Amino acid sequence: MPDEIRDEIPVIELENVEKYFGDLHVLDNINLRVKKGEVVVIIGPSGSGKSTLCRTVNRLETIDSGKIRIAGEEMPAEGKELARIRSEVGMVFQSFNLFAHKTILENVIMAPMSVKKTPKAQAVKEAMELLKRVGVESQASKVPAQLSGGQQQRVAIARALAMHPRAMLFDEPTSALDPEMINEVLDVIREVAEEGMTMLIVTHEMNFARQVADRIIFMDQGRILEESTPEAFFEAPKTERAREFLSKYSVSTSRLPRGAYESVEKHASGVLGMRISATPEA
Amino acid sequence: MKKSNRKSIQNVLYENPGPRMRARIRAATILSLFLLLLLLFFIVRQFLITGQLDARYWSFFLRPTTWRFLGMGLLGTVEAAALGGIVALVSGFFLMLARISRFGTLRFLSMIVTEFTRGIPTLLFIYFFFLVIPQFGIKMPPLWKIALPVAISASGIVAEVLRSGVNAVPKGQREAALSLGMLEHVVFIKIIFPQAIRFVIPALIAELVIVVKDTSFAYVVSFPDLMQNAKVLISNYDALLSVYLVVAVIYIVINYLLNRLSLFAASKMKIEA
Amino acid sequence: MNLTTLLEQYGKLYLTALFTTWTLTAISFSAAFVIGILITVMRISPVGPLRAAGEIFVQIFRNISGAALLILLVYALPYLNLLFSYYTCVIIATSLIPAAFCSEYLMSGINTIDAGQIEAARALGMSFFQIIRNIVIPQALRSSVLPLTNLLVSTMLTTALASQVPVNPRELTGLVSHINTHAVGGVLAFFVSAFLYSATAVVIGRIGSLIDRKVRILR
Repeated sequence: MPDEIRDEIPVIELENVEKYFGDLHVLDNINLRVKKGEVVVIIGPSGSGKSTLCRTVNRLETIDSGKIRIAGEEMPAEGKELARIRSEVGMVFQSFNLFAHKTILENVIMAPMSVKKTPKAQAVKEAMELLKRVGVESQASKVPAQLSGGQQQRVAIARALAMHPRAMLFDEPTSALDPEMINEVLDVIREVAEEGMTMLIVTHEMNFARQVADRIIFMDQGRILEESTPEAFFEAPKTERAREFLSKYSVSTSRLPRGAYESVEKHASGVLGMRISATPEA
Repeated sequence: MKKSNRKSIQNVLYENPGPRMRARIRAATILSLFLLLLLLFFIVRQFLITGQLDARYWSFFLRPTTWRFLGMGLLGTVEAAALGGIVALVSGFFLMLARISRFGTLRFLSMIVTEFTRGIPTLLFIYFFFLVIPQFGIKMPPLWKIALPVAISASGIVAEVLRSGVNAVPKGQREAALSLGMLEHVVFIKIIFPQAIRFVIPALIAELVIVVKDTSFAYVVSFPDLMQNAKVLISNYDALLSVYLVVAVIYIVINYLLNRLSLFAASKMKIEA
Repeated sequence: MNLTTLLEQYGKLYLTALFTTWTLTAISFSAAFVIGILITVMRISPVGPLRAAGEIFVQIFRNISGAALLILLVYALPYLNLLFSYYTCVIIATSLIPAAFCSEYLMSGINTIDAGQIEAARALGMSFFQIIRNIVIPQALRSSVLPLTNLLVSTMLTTALASQVPVNPRELTGLVSHINTHAVGGVLAFFVSAFLYSATAVVIGRIGSLIDRKVRILR
């Protein structure tokens, strides 16, 4: 690894992070660095602490010890400093969380206007471009409840992008979606990734993880058990836990050549109306 | 149940406080505690200055006769509230039946009566029974003169509450029963209404609070309820403030308990559902 | 007495009474709304004693009977050297009771707000007060329109308490008892007041549901 990359300040950095919920050790000595432009995907069984990890990055969850830094700056505990750093890290939630009393456009311009003091005209212009990019510009004057889940989640992505974040967090962005809407959201995330956005993604979509990730983190019981390239992880997981976890997914993607996924996925979701990457078998 | 709700909104509104916020909350806690104690101090001081804490205003509360007397008054309140509650339930039931009937005229009449009773103060109904009814030569015992207006006043809301319960019973229940060959009115009595009434028990208990409060106007028709008996105590002991304070506390406690009961019933129903 | 003679003799008084009821209602409701907001702020504050005080206020005034409260204000407070005019006592009573209910409605309005939306606002970098202003207050108010409409009607009903003390001019309930003690007004005197009350209530209700339909939040 060349020196300049090793020395580069990571956009997201977690150092010896520990967190307990009562007796439960939800985050156990977590160390993680996400470099600029890198896409890191966290996978693991439910209850493994991956969502909690994602939420600690912008302090929606507090930690008991350890350090979290964004672009080299330690996460402040409160106040304006905290709000400013949060505004630099976009977040997309499982349940969309659009503001129910505002129109789609207002959802996107609210934070730029109130937090960054962007003039309205400029905020609207940028918002419309973003809405167009995620394919919901025609819905701009509707309210969230009038949109499908997939559309709402795309708006949520646009809302986060409107703040020009240096990194984006995705906390299971497709887990609350009906199967037929998952791909439209994954496509948007993929595009954002291709444009060079730094990302930390928690997901159950294995195909997507393999395609989009520069690095896969496998978590179980609050610990990072594996950290490797997607190829290495999906083809030859090092731990028994990871092998066991991957075996629960109905379609093993490991034997398909890269590039085949998309066509299979499209075929499966288009023709059969089902996904190939998947949810664990019940 | 309510408490857990509140806790959740607390957790949502405020983040885990940082050191600065914790210090600020601590300061605000101390300051507000101080101000509240100061308020309490001034209230107590006012009582002391005016001599209202003197033993003669409070010592008679140690006598059993005082409580027997208040207890009798409370019994009157309970009597009026119970009678009023029952009449309101029965008339509300019929109003509700009319509201969901097949006949447009009945529905319309019921709607008019419901709106009418909901928009008129209980006191006006009480004056109707106190001043107007006797003009027709009708003699009514004081209990009915207070219970009936209170009941009429509550009947509209009771009807609406019952109707919301009936509407909450899944449509499939009626269809299933009809398909078994049951007659429409049998279905209503045996299947729909028993479920509906269970849905609305919490709301009915809450309505009982309003009934209890409304009976405190019983002095208008000279029915011996808690307030009325309090008056006798006051003239006996020349202790207005202490007696009315105790009476107010009794009302607050009764209605507080009724509200808790309503919440308890609601939470129990949620568990069953 | 028929309607024409009743209205000839007392028509003007009825108009004044109707206006008095409206005025009392407007003053009490405004006061109740302001107090209700203050109490709600106390109840959702992170400051323990304020929360407890707000809670005690609500439990006292939602559970006390109107008659008991008015009597305390009018006849008991003077024993503490606190003397208010009858009118002030009525306003205090008809404001404090609805204020407790107002706070209850606002609390349940706040409780309907989805926790996720507040987290989302936080994640976008909004401050506590920006979240309160942009998310909490608008949503709580919008979902409280119907309860507050009902509160306005029940505040009007509460103002009938004014008939229990000598205030001038009389409001609608006081007027009925006045007419019936001075002349045989009969059923009619009662019905005119009753009609004016329920007509007001119906109009308030209609306006309330119109506003509600406009601002209701789709979920």
